[in-house]
Amino acid sequence: MKKFLAVLMAAMMMFTMIGTAGATSLAGTYDITVWVAENAVELTKTQIENFNKTNELGIVFNATVEAVSEADAATQMITDVEAGGDLFCFAQDQFARLVQAGALAKLGVKAAETVSAANSSGVVAAATAGDTMYAYPLTADNGYFMYYDKSVIPEEHIDSLEALIADCEAAQKYFAYEMQTSAWYLAGVFFGTGCVSEWTMDEEGKNFVSVKDTFNSPEGLIAAKGIEKLVKSPFHLSSSSGSEFASGAAIVVTGTWDFNNVQGILGDNMGVADLPSFEVDGKEYHLGSFNGCKLMGVKPQVDAVKAAALHQLAQYLTGEQCQLERFEALSWGPSNLNAQASEAVQANPGLVALNAQAPYSVPQGQIHGSWWDIAKVIGDDIKAATDEAGLQQALDNYYDKIAALFKLDNNALLFVGAWNGWNNADETDTFYFKDGVLTLDVPESDYMGGRIVNPGKWDTDKGFAQVVTGAELIQDLGVEANPDNNIVFAEPGNYTVTVNGSEITIVKN
Amino acid sequence: MKTYSDLEYLKLSKGKKFLYKISRFFCSIPQKILGLFVALWNLIKKGCSKVKEEAVDIFSTFVNGDWKTKVSFLVMGFGNIARGQILRGLLFLLFEVVFIGYMVLAGGYWLSMLPSLGKVGPSEEYDFVLDAYYTVYNDNSFKILLYGVLTIFFIIAFIYTWRVNVRQNKLAEQILAKGKKLKSGKDDLRSLVDDQFHKTLMALPLTGILIFTVLPIVFMILVAFTNYDGAHDGYYSNLFGWVGLDNFNTMLNWNVNSGGSVQSYAATFGEVLSWTLMWAFFATFTNYFLGMFVAMAINKKGINLKKLWRTVLVLTIAIPQFISLLYVSKMFAKNGIINGFLMSMGWITEALPFWEDPTWARITVIITNVWIGIPYLMLITTGILMNIPQDLYESARIDGANPWQQYTKITLPYMLFVTGPYLLTSFTGNMNNFNVIYLLTGGAPTNPAASSAAGTVGYTDLLITWLFKITQGAESQYYLASVVGILVFVVVALISLVVYNVLPSIKNEEDFQ
Amino acid sequence: MSEKNITNPMKRHMGLKTSRAIGNTAIYALLICISIIWLVPFVCIVLQSFRVELKGPVGYVLPKQWGLDNYKALFQTDFPRWYANTFIAALVTAVLQTIIVLCMSYTLSRFRFKMRKPLMRFMLILGMFPGMLTMIILYRVLKDLGMTQANAVPGLILVYIASSGMGYYVSKGFFDTIPKSLDEAARVDGATRFQVLKKIILPLSKPIVIYTILTAFMGPWGDYVFAQYISFGTSAGMNVAVGMYRWLNKDQIAASYTMFCAGGVLVAIPVTVLFMCLQKYYVEGVTGGAVKG
Repeated sequence: MKKFLAVLMAAMMMFTMIGTAGATSLAGTYDITVWVAENAVELTKTQIENFNKTNELGIVFNATVEAVSEADAATQMITDVEAGGDLFCFAQDQFARLVQAGALAKLGVKAAETVSAANSSGVVAAATAGDTMYAYPLTADNGYFMYYDKSVIPEEHIDSLEALIADCEAAQKYFAYEMQTSAWYLAGVFFGTGCVSEWTMDEEGKNFVSVKDTFNSPEGLIAAKGIEKLVKSPFHLSSSSGSEFASGAAIVVTGTWDFNNVQGILGDNMGVADLPSFEVDGKEYHLGSFNGCKLMGVKPQVDAVKAAALHQLAQYLTGEQCQLERFEALSWGPSNLNAQASEAVQANPGLVALNAQAPYSVPQGQIHGSWWDIAKVIGDDIKAATDEAGLQQALDNYYDKIAALFKLDNNALLFVGAWNGWNNADETDTFYFKDGVLTLDVPESDYMGGRIVNPGKWDTDKGFAQVVTGAELIQDLGVEANPDNNIVFAEPGNYTVTVNGSEITIVKN
Repeated sequence: MKTYSDLEYLKLSKGKKFLYKISRFFCSIPQKILGLFVALWNLIKKGCSKVKEEAVDIFSTFVNGDWKTKVSFLVMGFGNIARGQILRGLLFLLFEVVFIGYMVLAGGYWLSMLPSLGKVGPSEEYDFVLDAYYTVYNDNSFKILLYGVLTIFFIIAFIYTWRVNVRQNKLAEQILAKGKKLKSGKDDLRSLVDDQFHKTLMALPLTGILIFTVLPIVFMILVAFTNYDGAHDGYYSNLFGWVGLDNFNTMLNWNVNSGGSVQSYAATFGEVLSWTLMWAFFATFTNYFLGMFVAMAINKKGINLKKLWRTVLVLTIAIPQFISLLYVSKMFAKNGIINGFLMSMGWITEALPFWEDPTWARITVIITNVWIGIPYLMLITTGILMNIPQDLYESARIDGANPWQQYTKITLPYMLFVTGPYLLTSFTGNMNNFNVIYLLTGGAPTNPAASSAAGTVGYTDLLITWLFKITQGAESQYYLASVVGILVFVVVALISLVVYNVLPSIKNEEDFQ
Repeated sequence: MSEKNITNPMKRHMGLKTSRAIGNTAIYALLICISIIWLVPFVCIVLQSFRVELKGPVGYVLPKQWGLDNYKALFQTDFPRWYANTFIAALVTAVLQTIIVLCMSYTLSRFRFKMRKPLMRFMLILGMFPGMLTMIILYRVLKDLGMTQANAVPGLILVYIASSGMGYYVSKGFFDTIPKSLDEAARVDGATRFQVLKKIILPLSKPIVIYTILTAFMGPWGDYVFAQYISFGTSAGMNVAVGMYRWLNKDQIAASYTMFCAGGVLVAIPVTVLFMCLQKYYVEGVTGGAVKG
């Protein structure tokens, strides 16, 4: 954080000193490659032309626009960053992988400010890892809702998952909801019952340091029961393609990108709605969803001038005007606040349905790349389960794999010290327990405390309340001020903390 | 284990003979391993004495040789040129110049970096004026490893050439001492299309194999001892380095990564391996017998339009698999046309889980593979069936043998004998049959208990598709994929070894000439 | 085999005749069934390629509206470029690979030199390594040679032919069946080894030459994984498999599935025609060689 501020200050000083002299030096012709989705190729070419004509910096791009799917841009980039596109578009779930692989260039200070101000906060968070912004928000419509065939599904059933399944089975039509092959769709059910999966990255955004994941909980079990209803139906189809309507589907859960396709197949029979609710033990749970975005990244450059020019282009391409053009031509929902406010966008039926689902959706933050593989298996696991124990087993499997991601023993604990108060990543230190014992130095600071965490779980059952020996060494802040059961030391020094079952011993060395 | 005498052995039935051979093979494994070590020791001893011999020879060549020979020790090809073999001499000299030039300009650097695989990673810099980040790239672990290995190859080639150069001087001296003439450049060229014709023919293919097969395989094996993955790609993100046997420990240790109910990699590997073997067995033998059956049906006397039947079948070979298999995969989908057809006929009320259920999926994959494989087998067996001497059948018929007896007593033994080697290659080929699995199921349905940190593992995944998934997974763990690759090699080599020892017809190459 | 052979039996084999007739009828029934099963996917693909009303995958087979739209649409894309790339790669590979394979197999069949057995064993062992991972390295090597992305075609050809020496088994098996006495007679008459190959062996090897050309030509049409690596996101360097496979991406399939089928039909044509014409040689080559390797 301090480093970041220093950079900011220095940058501002330089700007005032040099004024616009620096900016004019960008003039020149650059050969670049741009990767966009297949249907956006032509439009992007035009937009780059427009940039060449209108920019006042004298930048001319000689651009080759290639069609590369946003879904596997990361896999492509990671194969060979050097040969990858200078500008490339990708879906949000690949963000963490790209940052780790060194395939995304950081935004300059000014660019980051402009972009943060112009876009909704959710998408800005999506483009940020740690303290650093790494990409430009391109769309904000990467969410999903329900399309249905009005000739099969009566209007009054669209709020109940059970009724919809029954309708499909009666009509021998398929209910397409990608529950077995995609974590993106599956996780929504868990969000619907109040589960969370929140991942924390280090300051640089290169590594995940902890996760708060409650899928393996009583609420998670409820979600599992909901998924079970769906995947065990013989007419469930694990797919999210609007084309399934042409192959016997009556309901497809997918996003705005399929709007024109579905309309082409169903015509007037097309209906859109937010996701339904499911019922477990007499209680209704509305299905949740992910709410993500697509981003545009700039490949790290060796030449600072070219890098600056590319960032100019990326800003232009993700700016208000280009986003509106994309909305008009391709119905991509804009992330730019001004563009979002335009009347045409407000009236778009696909986006309206997406907005109806919005109250139940969870912003898709930064998630470990492997989580997608780990979580998508839950669907198959639930399908194979025969009883409630089987469902619990599915969640246990999931939890174990998350724990293994941190390459730690299942019973290992770590101590997250927050010497300068929470939420200050700079001063937070992580220590690993070895065989239940940890020796740590506590520096003099305002908040000489920390939390004992089971990796993969955000436990609060090992902390202040469990200290049996050495209670005089720690502060009693009361439950109100210390809801997370933190251990706050009374004075700085070197301590040995021992965890034995639910008993904690603290000794000052 | 009972050991039979030759006479007792001959009395056994065919099946028992086969079983006996196999069990003999396994019983002899400890002995063989011991034998291997002995052989290895002998090889080392032989190698040592050979090196000593060579050293003595080189030394004596130097001491006894004339000044031309002595200069040749430093300037390769000098002796050849001085004695009139200009062409040979120039080639030697050229090679030396190229080698020294390469080592000075590049090779030395690659070699010196090989132990560390790079010291300075990339760093991100900030340009205050432009308000932009740019990256300074430094060492490249990938290239260091690649070109380091290449340099070692080159050095070995140089040492060999140098040795040849020394030997040629000695030979030339001897020949001249006897008063004979040396071969001229013209003679050399002529021998390349005659005595030495095999060298001409194989020069190009072998160079290609060396650079495009051997080098990559050596590299791949070395990757297993590094931490090369998506986040350590050696240049853009982080350098990678040597990690010793850590990756083998991860893959083969039953206790690593086995938190709670999740399998360790070793268990997952075992599961995938057992399906791979099962698949290879069924894929090979269903194709073999059904292909033979179809060929016999078409070849049967009195069947017309033989060419038409064959052509229809052969279409599957002619049409690229990425088109036909993808379509077949869609046909079997839950809402595909096969289920649609069965449902519209009222034969089933809900879709058959061709790709959803593990057992169904495995069977469907094998059946689809029959669809692809029968045409090949039909073509291969057609020719062989025609080669079976017809009088064998004639005399069998006179003895009153029915068609089934004719098949088991004449056709099958003949076929098995002739196609033994083919069956082996087709078995190992099926173990690595990437296309069929990748295009049909992509490994689905997933196996929830399998360790998934390196991408999901499915019930129809073969080792080769799993390996591919590991490289394509979120963490792109190339090092782990490399370990799997090495293990695949070990398994295939082991199977081949067993079969080679049990099947006699493979070994005797000259029998057919 | 004409009808006459069956209808001209010896009188005392009347029982045999009827049983054979029954057997033949059963076989005809079987062959017809097999033919239907084998043809269905192809017929479906062809039918899909003429569908106009919807461009995505559908649950029925017969188009509701027929037309050539998909074929026309193909030429609005880079498909002709991919097709040309693949065709060139296939053609050049067929020629060069045949030369290399024949060199290798002829040498290993006819010459007896010191390193022969170790070499064959070495290549056998090499073949047991899964080639999957080596792609990553080959990609980098080709990249340093400037043969990736837009220049992928020469790179592909290089890789296809470079390792083809290892596929000598079938043709070596074929050469093994040609009697060695022929060579020896010619050698006694003073012919060089090269002349023996040119004048005696090659004329006898038509089936295996054609077999090798045919398999070499077919390979590049179906190559997906490696070709995808080499062309790496550059449309100009893709082959048909890589280019068309992208149309099956989730965000693309609804708009291009029928086009994929149309492309598939066009891809299948040259290989199928070639195969049908040369089927006879393929059979001779494969039976002469495959089983004796």
